Amino acid sequence: MKLYQIVAKDVMRRKRRVLYAALGVVIGTMTVVGVLTMAFAGQAKIYKQLEQYGPNLTVIPAVNNLDMKLGNLSMGTLTVGDNYIPQSELPAIRQIADSNIREVMKIDDQGNIATLAPYLYENTKVNGVSVVVVGVDPEPEKLVKSWWNVGKGDYINGPDSVLVGSLAAELLKLNVGDTILFNNNELKIAGILDETGSSDDYQIFAPLASVQKAFDKDGMISSLDIRALCNSCPVETIADSINKNIPGVTAIAVKQIAKSEMGLVDKMSNLMLALGGITLAVGLFGVVNTMMSSVHERIKDIGIMRAVGASRNQIIKVFIYEALIIGVLGGIGGYFLGTALAFAIGPLVFEGTAISFVPQYLPLALGVSIVVAVAATIYPAIRASQIRVADSFRSV
Amino acid sequence: MLEINNVTKIYGEGSARVVALDRVSLKVEDGDFIAIMGPSGSGKSTFLNIIGGLDRLTSGEVILDGHRIDNLGENDLVDIRRGKIAYVFQQYHLLPSLTAMENVLLPLIFCGDGGDEQKVETILSRVGLGKRAEHKPSQLSGGEQQRVAIARALVSGPSLILADEPTGNMDQKTGNEILELFKELNQEGRSILMVTHSADIARQAKQIITLQDGRIISKAVQQSVR
Repeated sequence: MKLYQIVAKDVMRRKRRVLYAALGVVIGTMTVVGVLTMAFAGQAKIYKQLEQYGPNLTVIPAVNNLDMKLGNLSMGTLTVGDNYIPQSELPAIRQIADSNIREVMKIDDQGNIATLAPYLYENTKVNGVSVVVVGVDPEPEKLVKSWWNVGKGDYINGPDSVLVGSLAAELLKLNVGDTILFNNNELKIAGILDETGSSDDYQIFAPLASVQKAFDKDGMISSLDIRALCNSCPVETIADSINKNIPGVTAIAVKQIAKSEMGLVDKMSNLMLALGGITLAVGLFGVVNTMMSSVHERIKDIGIMRAVGASRNQIIKVFIYEALIIGVLGGIGGYFLGTALAFAIGPLVFEGTAISFVPQYLPLALGVSIVVAVAATIYPAIRASQIRVADSFRSV
Repeated sequence: MLEINNVTKIYGEGSARVVALDRVSLKVEDGDFIAIMGPSGSGKSTFLNIIGGLDRLTSGEVILDGHRIDNLGENDLVDIRRGKIAYVFQQYHLLPSLTAMENVLLPLIFCGDGGDEQKVETILSRVGLGKRAEHKPSQLSGGEQQRVAIARALVSGPSLILADEPTGNMDQKTGNEILELFKELNQEGRSILMVTHSADIARQAKQIITLQDGRIISKAVQQSVR
């Protein structure tokens, strides 16, 4: 039999008192875990959007206020003005992007590095319904939209074959093999995309040249996505360089948008973490209080232990062991309640965010609550160890 | 083995000043069995507490086996409680959450020898509680609880047992049974200092000292005790 077993038995006898002490830790840990879980979900959402919708750079006509396509943030509102980028600028843009990447990554190969995906957006009517037709370069488009999945039929496989977004197909009642007309140019539906959750679902994709021809926009594009496909690619430098050297276009590094978006999440998280910290501190004092009354309640027990040979350190140990039990209970309770809290209010804080269990926060919650419980117990434990045996019996 | 020289204990200050012990001296030899009598408030319990280092004295000295123990620090006192001196109290002072077995194990656990349950069983049988080892104090009678407390005192093998009215809460029959146990321990060579109110109990000790107002007013050696 060991000292901690004695403590465990004693704790079992005083369940209510111990649970009460654990409650202080639970509330603090719950807040911290709740905040972190929400922030985690918020970040995960943004990362996912970046991954899905984020080429490293987007180039748009300088005067056009075309919205960024960052997932929900601008979904569906594509203003297509009269301003276009001449397709002839593409080689110059490519040159700038590739040379910057070569320099940073120390690549000697003179082949193409960055993927350039040009877009031409046109409004038209199909079967009497308004729809956006997007002219794309099929090969780079495949690379940039790595999450695309052609559910029915095939990918664009010829100059007059098109790909239809899932919702567009539904709304326009289109099927693989159907033909559609763009200003009297007949195109055939090669495939239908699975749902992506982005504005792609509402659009029809056709080879760039066909769209240019059908809408009389030869040599023009609406925007250009550049994917550098490396994490350390100098996208800001590339953007600056394009803005300086190519007239009439604006290049934006998607990271910049992501940064402000992340910054907001971070600020919210920090604010809530500060709140969590305060709650923890309040919880700490709650535990100090409970522990002090626990010491007071057990003055006689402490005297008995001292009388039969317990040293001061052993008395401190008794209380620290108890604190560990409280810490573990508080950590587990705080983790689950905190996750529940995130499930309850997370979707309100970060709109539409899917909260999930974050298992790696369990050890964190345990760590935090054990540290708090032990810290709160040090002073009461020292007080307990200083109790004189004779005094303890007198006070009873 | 134990020498108490001019021990004085004063509680409080000013008008609340109480002299609990006033220059008390006593010698305890190996194998002594001394009953300490006296009215309430005469300083009996304070006397025991000071001998055992449970309480601090105001002046004087306590010498155990040739070493002063009244001025020892807490850590050294722990060593004395772990093998030289053990206590038995009127209120038993058992931990309510532990079984008889665990209560007796407690001193061994604090010594870092919590595994010796065999030894505890032997001692529990010896005090007549072999079959009650797994009972908690609340399930035991007063006499049984005191037997557990005696077993707990014995487990660390002390040479001196300090007992503060060990039979005070018992009827005469149970009290006598407990006293018999103390006599046995004394016959094994352990010295016993026992505070008691009862003249019947005191009469069976080898020596009786009587305290009044913090002073020893009589010492009597009883030859007739077996």
